Amino acid sequence: MDRESWLALAQNLDWTPSYVSEAELFPPAISGEPWLAHEDWADWAEPFRTTFAEYVRTQSQKEEGLAALRDALGGPTHVAALDPGWSAGVKLHSAILALAEFAAVVGNLRAARFGRHSAWRATSLLGALDELRHTQLPLALMHDRVRRDAQADFTHRLYHTNGWVSIAARHAFDELLLGSDPIEFAIATHFVFETGFTNLQFVGLAELAEQVGDTLFRSILTSIQTDEARHAQVGRPVLEVIVARDRARAQYLVDKWFWRNWQLFAPVTGFTMDYLTPVRRRGPSFKEFVEEWVLDQYLSSLDELGLERPWYWDSFVRALDHYHHMTYAAAYTYRASVWFDMVLPGPEERAWLARKYPASWPSYEPIWDRISSAWRRTDPGVEFAAHATAIPCFCALCQMVLAHGTPEHNAAIVVDREPRKVVFCSEPCRWIYETEPQRYGEHKDVVARVLAGEAPANLLEFLTRYSGLSVQTWGKDAFGGAYSWLDRETR
Amino acid sequence: MLVPLYGFLEGDTMGVLVLAHADSTLAEVVDKLRASASLRVDTRGAFDLVAGGQVLDPHATVASAGLTALDRVDARRRDGSA
Repeated sequence: MDRESWLALAQNLDWTPSYVSEAELFPPAISGEPWLAHEDWADWAEPFRTTFAEYVRTQSQKEEGLAALRDALGGPTHVAALDPGWSAGVKLHSAILALAEFAAVVGNLRAARFGRHSAWRATSLLGALDELRHTQLPLALMHDRVRRDAQADFTHRLYHTNGWVSIAARHAFDELLLGSDPIEFAIATHFVFETGFTNLQFVGLAELAEQVGDTLFRSILTSIQTDEARHAQVGRPVLEVIVARDRARAQYLVDKWFWRNWQLFAPVTGFTMDYLTPVRRRGPSFKEFVEEWVLDQYLSSLDELGLERPWYWDSFVRALDHYHHMTYAAAYTYRASVWFDMVLPGPEERAWLARKYPASWPSYEPIWDRISSAWRRTDPGVEFAAHATAIPCFCALCQMVLAHGTPEHNAAIVVDREPRKVVFCSEPCRWIYETEPQRYGEHKDVVARVLAGEAPANLLEFLTRYSGLSVQTWGKDAFGGAYSWLDRETR
Repeated sequence: MLVPLYGFLEGDTMGVLVLAHADSTLAEVVDKLRASASLRVDTRGAFDLVAGGQVLDPHATVASAGLTALDRVDARRRDGSA
């Protein structure tokens, strides 16, 4: 049998159930809403059409290539040559993604059983294998570094702690990858996330990795992206079916998940692109990457599908100039609460940021002047002289720091929802929460945990006992506050 | 009685929890917010405390101003103060 004949046969294995009803075989609660009869899914197809034998052969070749590179470049000499800021960005990326990819195994396997077309189920099985590989690659990369860098251990540990980043990322990924049905998973993960935001992670960051000389990390990112590009193809045909049968549901899911993905990945990617990568190795800014890789492609995809741009689009475009700058300044002053080091932007970095963000950067200059002056008054390495101690506040939906809007006007909203008040960082987060209150209402943010006595209010206790950090692992200034441009005050 | 408030100081990049008491004056609440944000913001000069769009009397207390747990308060630079 030739390949095309085999695929035509192997991708269409659905049958008419006789012992149970179709709704019992594919229960709506787990197969997803809207629940449609098989006839509505009968024309479902994805363009990649890979056989299992082809899949194994291709993945094996990729793995062999990466193993050779890891042998050649994974040693301590190569790692020690990397810029400290860039290494911090690799730790941020690896810890956020590694076990999230493992959660995506579960999402794919659920679709491999409860997806409504046999081709969808078959390709989801390959997607699950992909995600297992995407878990193992960063774990293997960072495992080689743990002996010399205890922060690298957070690639595996992060989601087993209660640090605020862990809580926020778990809140998003548990829903996206573990708790969603195959329809929501396909639209949220394969369409919104993998056709938009993974480009930032795996294409944009790969370009930067090449610029800083981190060939091994670039190769890992590029290898992962080739898988993402394949299983991302599941999203669009699922979305097309839902648009045709329940357009409002389709619009809600894409709008909800675009915002949720943005909330998490603006800091994750924006920090590395605009702050942690050495300025002389940077290319486009985070905003320019988003405009190139997310905005144009995403809007044209929505248009092709007959969907509207999200109602909050203007706010999102404004946030491109602010959100990751707000969160970076906040996180830098609470860097002991994360597992990666952070860079204090100096004159050269700030001139670059001013060129890239002419409309918004003037609001951030005085903030970095102020933080720099705290370092001037102390000695290198005295981290807590330039570190905040007040309790930060977090959004009831995304669990991120209340850092939307601008320094002149924070966009947080407090809403009285009996029996308690809840706070949101932004209107889209409020909209998502209030659309599905039964889904989000019981979750406690960090402040609620502190006020309920479940988490310590004392910063050191919060870092060590609750967040799983220690003096060896908590984030510090990547250069210990010792910068050639930073003249220390005479004391 | 402790009255935790969501506090925002003009010029800052994040919200912080202000642990006020019902009998704290609003001037004291502003001082707590200044202290919380001072690593990121030069807090010299005069600030007004604003809640629900209204500038509050700094001599009023948290309770007499009608503030309750988890209300939002903003410390806004008084016009001309820098």
